[in-house]
Amino acid sequence: MPAEQPVIEAAEERAVEQGRSPRKEVRRSPRQRKRALVAWIFMLPLVLVNLLVIVGPSIATIYYSFTEWSGIGPAEFVGLQNYRQMLTSGEFYGALLHNIIWTGIFLTVPIAMGLLGAFLLSQITRFQMLFRVVYFIPYVIASVVNASIWENLLDPERGIGPALTSIGIPFLDGVAFFGDPQLALPSVAFVDNWHWWGFVLVLFLTAMQSVDRELYDAAKVDGANRWHQFRHVTIPGIRPTLVFVMMMTIIWSLLVFDYIYIITQGGPAGATEVVATLMYKEAFARFEAGYAAALGLGMSFVSGLIVLIFVYLRRRGWEI
Amino acid sequence: MNRSMTRKSFVTSGGKAVIGASLAGSLLASCGGQEGGTGELTYWSGLEGAGPREYYKEHIEKPFEKANPGIDLKVQFQSPEDLDRTVRTALQGGEGPDLVPTPGPSFALEYIDANLFVELDDYAKQYGWQDKILGWALDSGRFQGKLYSVPTEFETMLLYYNKTLFEEKGWMPPKDREELESLAEEAQGQGIIPFSAGSADWRPTPEWFMTIFWNHYSGPDALYQALTGEVPWTDPVFVEAVDLHSRYFQNGWYGGSVEKFFSTGSDAYHTQLGDGKAAMNMEGSWFLLEVDNFFGQAAGNDNEWDWAPLPSLANGVPSQIFELGIGSTLSINRRSQVPDAAAKYINWLFSDPERAAQRMADVPAVFNIPIPLEREDFPSNMDPRVADVLATLSETTSKGNYGYTTWTFWPPKSDVFVYEGMEKVLTGEMEPAAYCAELNKIFQQELDEGEVPPIIERGAA
Repeated sequence: MPAEQPVIEAAEERAVEQGRSPRKEVRRSPRQRKRALVAWIFMLPLVLVNLLVIVGPSIATIYYSFTEWSGIGPAEFVGLQNYRQMLTSGEFYGALLHNIIWTGIFLTVPIAMGLLGAFLLSQITRFQMLFRVVYFIPYVIASVVNASIWENLLDPERGIGPALTSIGIPFLDGVAFFGDPQLALPSVAFVDNWHWWGFVLVLFLTAMQSVDRELYDAAKVDGANRWHQFRHVTIPGIRPTLVFVMMMTIIWSLLVFDYIYIITQGGPAGATEVVATLMYKEAFARFEAGYAAALGLGMSFVSGLIVLIFVYLRRRGWEI
Repeated sequence: MNRSMTRKSFVTSGGKAVIGASLAGSLLASCGGQEGGTGELTYWSGLEGAGPREYYKEHIEKPFEKANPGIDLKVQFQSPEDLDRTVRTALQGGEGPDLVPTPGPSFALEYIDANLFVELDDYAKQYGWQDKILGWALDSGRFQGKLYSVPTEFETMLLYYNKTLFEEKGWMPPKDREELESLAEEAQGQGIIPFSAGSADWRPTPEWFMTIFWNHYSGPDALYQALTGEVPWTDPVFVEAVDLHSRYFQNGWYGGSVEKFFSTGSDAYHTQLGDGKAAMNMEGSWFLLEVDNFFGQAAGNDNEWDWAPLPSLANGVPSQIFELGIGSTLSINRRSQVPDAAAKYINWLFSDPERAAQRMADVPAVFNIPIPLEREDFPSNMDPRVADVLATLSETTSKGNYGYTTWTFWPPKSDVFVYEGMEKVLTGEMEPAAYCAELNKIFQQELDEGEVPPIIERGAA
């Protein structure tokens, strides 16, 4: 087995250079085949469960996306009509725009906060665990509870705005965070970010702790300050984690539903409508389950495309 | 007809199932259920709160089972917000309870189109429901001439007000638009919110107000014509109602401002009414269930509440109109093995007016079934204000002065647009004329597709 390793690596390198999958070039020994078979046997139960709960409904969703269906009773085949409706709907593009804004917010704010927080925490040893737990707690609280807390805190009549006003700080007085169409989307994003960034911080901190300390020592010897160390040692050291978090952020942002549905249900005046809330409304309020299936598939397609881009970049040799 | 169909399905399934004594036994049991209307009867209820649920078990489930030996009523309480979605999923999967609840006729219509409900005409004839249930209510469950659902909770819109505040200020409940507007201006001038309101925890709230403005400004006759497709929603009488509603909002009369309206929840605005920070509240009769929680000792204030009919907002519209709405309906699952038992339950609900009136007295609003009741039928322990609502509603609607609630008589897509589109009007993103034009477009499509639920004809209800 060890003797085969250089051969395999050489083949992989050759394949990467040629832009092809390295695995196709490798012939497997009987022993390797047996190991692969055992692995598949172990995976089989999970594969079967996935077939049942993911593949089955996915196929049904693909079918229904080509039908006019209220969600109950027989479905009528309408070809590409639902997709045409989606691509010509101003409501869909409005929701998609909100998804993109949401993605932009979550690719910057929590990641910047997480990076900064993790870097600062990595510099201390006392109370580090306490801070990690404190920052992580919002992540394990149910979204409905988090949302309810912030709905009360940001209530224009009973929240922190009137409380600050009562002590002579009136700048938030009467501000309706979730009621003003200009503020609603960033306000809901703020609440979601509050529960999310602590998780990101812990991921980054774990990654940072695996960076070789000697690299920092070498950087110090070269005269690097804290910023230089962060920029030239920490970031390259955690790049796989950083890219993974960014990829998941993009996918989750495209599928975001819970906080928006709980707090504003897509309102006011569609100011927080995203594709997932639109899809829910089409299925369960307007009884357009066929169209909702097309919306869902549209978003799955975009998410799948993003994953493919990352996979492609990896195969091109990007360290992600 | 129902019985023969069920037998057929029983024979079919029976042929496949002679594989074990226990299975055969259960099939025989279900056969007995069909023949005698007995067996296990399942019902999913959207009743909310421990109090009403406990009351249901003590005052409906147990007496019903006692009166119908052999029927085991199994009630499963579910969140009212999730109930229709749960029912929908279950029915689509070939399951679901024997007694199927829906939030109203437009929801029921979807299930009827999919042939999931039993026709109830034979049961209606057998039990004489036409004499027990109000005509308009029974008609709301008829589709293409056949009865499929029965309303189990009716609603209307009311003007609640803080009586103590009104007495302090020397105000009287408004009787027309002029009085309403001058009262709103005066209240606002004194730092009091004219109408407590908010949509933070119930986004469709704006449709309550459109129900009121279309009925009390445009008038029920015009609404009937629009709902039956005789006139379009672009008619000026509807556009003007939307415009008037929008202007009231822009004045800050509802909840203080448009932005505050969108971010205030029901607990908060009910508290404003109870504490006297708001003067009035335009809301449905469902609020009768919890209005006492916001007034008097329970709420930590010394205030009292009262109600008044919503005033007419235009000349030519009757001064007293009550919108009719249906909060829930009951149907029998086509796949039920005990449809006769299910029909017995529906019949039991409507059969004893005295018992029904007592339920209405004990738990206001929740058990308001549409049966003919006179003022003297209500028990002496009933809150006189609640009794007055029910008696006035009955008297007024029997004269033909009733209107239409959007959530009962508008088809689904139009109904969603009524409140979502209204948010755009209130935030200035859409003009009232454009709003009505878009509503008309959606409505006409649904009308063509047969999605409009039955509309009660004009005349005595």
